[in-house]
Amino acid sequence: MKHLTRNLINFAIYFSVGTIVFRYGLSHSLDSRLFLQVYVIAVVYFFYNFGIGWYFGKKDYELLPLYDIGFRFHLATFLLYNSITEAWNYFGFLSQFESAKTNRYIAFFWGIFLLFHFLLYLYSRKNTIKGINKSEIFE
Amino acid sequence: MGKNELLVDLLNAWEETYKKGQLTFWIFLSLKDGKKYVEEIKNFVEEESNQTMTCESQSLYRNLRKFQHVGVVDFEAGEGNKGPERKYYFLTDLGNSLLDSFTRRNIHLFFNEKIKQLLNKEE
Repeated sequence: MKHLTRNLINFAIYFSVGTIVFRYGLSHSLDSRLFLQVYVIAVVYFFYNFGIGWYFGKKDYELLPLYDIGFRFHLATFLLYNSITEAWNYFGFLSQFESAKTNRYIAFFWGIFLLFHFLLYLYSRKNTIKGINKSEIFE
Repeated sequence: MGKNELLVDLLNAWEETYKKGQLTFWIFLSLKDGKKYVEEIKNFVEEESNQTMTCESQSLYRNLRKFQHVGVVDFEAGEGNKGPERKYYFLTDLGNSLLDSFTRRNIHLFFNEKIKQLLNKEE
């Protein structure tokens, strides 16, 4: 099955670049004690991700309407964000105000949420054939 | 509203509903006729349905991608007309079985003698 589509890969690339820029901006701003800038960076990062998710998700659905209630994009986001964060920590780029422990807590609770999303995704697949909603295959 | 005007309006409304889902049948029929690329499928559908069915190429591509994904249609690359290679679509074994089953259950009943008589009955 085509789970890893071209649009999902493009989303992953844009998301990774955005996350690296965000990570750099966050750690740099914290170290420089530019706390207001931290909020601005977080808001920009949110809208950036919302935008690319919307754009590539819509394109992906138009290309092939895989009914996965957004799980593939969520999984990609989870894996990439936490991998980049872990790498940031491993190479010692975290600011003095960030802790690896907090980041792992975030990953843990996010993981629980992702697990619920996965269960919902499995449930939603009951109405699909090879990932496409039965009512949409022959419309 | 005159009787004829009402008849046309009702006919259009009924056809609009009736045609939903029919595109699949026409696409399958066109591929049963032989391998075709999208423009040929489009022409087949429009000509053989006496222009009662029309379809955009984009809509055909979208449907063919879904059919290919579920395994009822596949394609092979063939030479284009002085241009890039074309995708020639065809029905897979599963697609042929699906069309046969669908036709037996939903189309053949119109060839039943009683139904034929009813359809030909003068008022």
